[in-house]
Amino acid sequence: MSSAIIIENLNFSYPSQNGAYDLPVLSNFNLEISKGEFFSIVGLSGCGKSSLLKIIGGLNQYNSGKILVGNNSPKKAMRGRKFGFVFQNPVLLDWRTAIGNVKLPSEVFHETISDEKAVELLNKVGLKGFEFSYPKQLSGGMQSRVAIARVLSYDPEFLLMDEPFGDLDEITKEQLHAELLKLWQETGMTIIFVTHNISEAVLLSDRVAIMSKKPSKIKKIYNIDLSRPRNSETKKNRQYYELIDHIKNDLKQEFLV
Amino acid sequence: MPTAYLKNWLPPAFFFILFIGAWEGVIHYFEIPEYLVPPPTTIFSVIVTDFTILSMNTLITMLEAFAGFAIANFFGILLAIVFAHSQTVERTIYPYAIAFKAIPLVAIAPLLILWFGSGILGKMIMAATISFFPILVNATIGLKSIDSEALDLMNSLSASKMQILLKVRFPTSLPFIFSAFKISSTLSVIGAIVAEMAGANQGIGHIIMMASYRMETPTLFAGIFAASLGGIFFFCLIAFIEKQILTWHESMKTV
Repeated sequence: MSSAIIIENLNFSYPSQNGAYDLPVLSNFNLEISKGEFFSIVGLSGCGKSSLLKIIGGLNQYNSGKILVGNNSPKKAMRGRKFGFVFQNPVLLDWRTAIGNVKLPSEVFHETISDEKAVELLNKVGLKGFEFSYPKQLSGGMQSRVAIARVLSYDPEFLLMDEPFGDLDEITKEQLHAELLKLWQETGMTIIFVTHNISEAVLLSDRVAIMSKKPSKIKKIYNIDLSRPRNSETKKNRQYYELIDHIKNDLKQEFLV
Repeated sequence: MPTAYLKNWLPPAFFFILFIGAWEGVIHYFEIPEYLVPPPTTIFSVIVTDFTILSMNTLITMLEAFAGFAIANFFGILLAIVFAHSQTVERTIYPYAIAFKAIPLVAIAPLLILWFGSGILGKMIMAATISFFPILVNATIGLKSIDSEALDLMNSLSASKMQILLKVRFPTSLPFIFSAFKISSTLSVIGAIVAEMAGANQGIGHIIMMASYRMETPTLFAGIFAASLGGIFFFCLIAFIEKQILTWHESMKTV
């Protein structure tokens, strides 16, 4: 498969509060992600996973190195509407209904989609009958669904997800996992999924990368060759538990030494 | 529903009647002269006989207050938008905004008379001056209180600064802006009255001043009553509009 994202010798550091020194976050970071892949990045809190995702998506600057998205820089790819972000907080606009939130990207692009189209997208993510509800009237799971429908409204090539289901209960999370996998299969999007939940990463992904502590690199990449479709049956598989166990041990070694 | 309605309105109404009754009683019992504190019945009869004069002059004051309120909010929000986008401008101008706020308004009232005469313009400017600071502070905070992830979201869509302002910043700041509106609704009426007292030939402040010169204390009280009523009306109007617009906001939820 062709590489959709290539990262070579990437360096990124945070300027400290007083600007006296820089806090290195990513150093000599290398990664390749294939087109259509479901790629997860796991690491403990504060290891720079979110920064990495924002750099790939063109939201953050980096200090040196090379990133190619297709043949473009992240900024250029961003302007070409290649990225859809889903954050842990669904970031819905409280004053807009579910429909209004789904229409937001198309309004920004001056290509406003119809209400019918927005309803169709909401139905696609399993949200029926709540089209006219305001975010405050929706549960956490429903809000995540709206956020996903909002991304689908402009059909990006890459879905960049930053712990999107972090706040949800187990049952809702399981439902959303199933629906995300279905959407992924249907759309052929490349998904980069950042999480600290190892079992979630193993269940969903083609590959799972483990990030080291700061300054971060990829410590190891696991191929998850569990058969698809992945569902609750997958979780009865011994190999599933072994993978989780391995990854957990790697993380412990990295972070607890 | 009717019981809840009664529950809300009955206690304050009862208190009002009690208060007025006690006032009337105390004045008659201690034989307090009318020029010091008139009884409510006398004030009421003045309100009835002078109703046209009182209401016309209150209306003038309200117009001055409203015009000042509108001017202040227009320029206050405009400046807040600039502040929200440029820290340099904010740092440069904000200290002067605070210094401006620190000037006692009563002290500049004679200046306004000197510059703009005893007409309506000076009163509007006074009302605007007193209303300006609340909107500037609140709108600046509101426009800046946008969630960093919402900003990331808009940037990931390559949204322009104008789009971010209109679609995210402005709606986010509306609860803050309405707080400022509520504060300055009553303040603007005060500003207009203070300016009228410094020199005017109309308005409720003028009526109050004239009544005080002539020791017509019941008229003085009637003027105070009319002025307060104007402020309350303005405040309630803003609160009503807020309730219609901010249906989505946390603060509007009735628990």
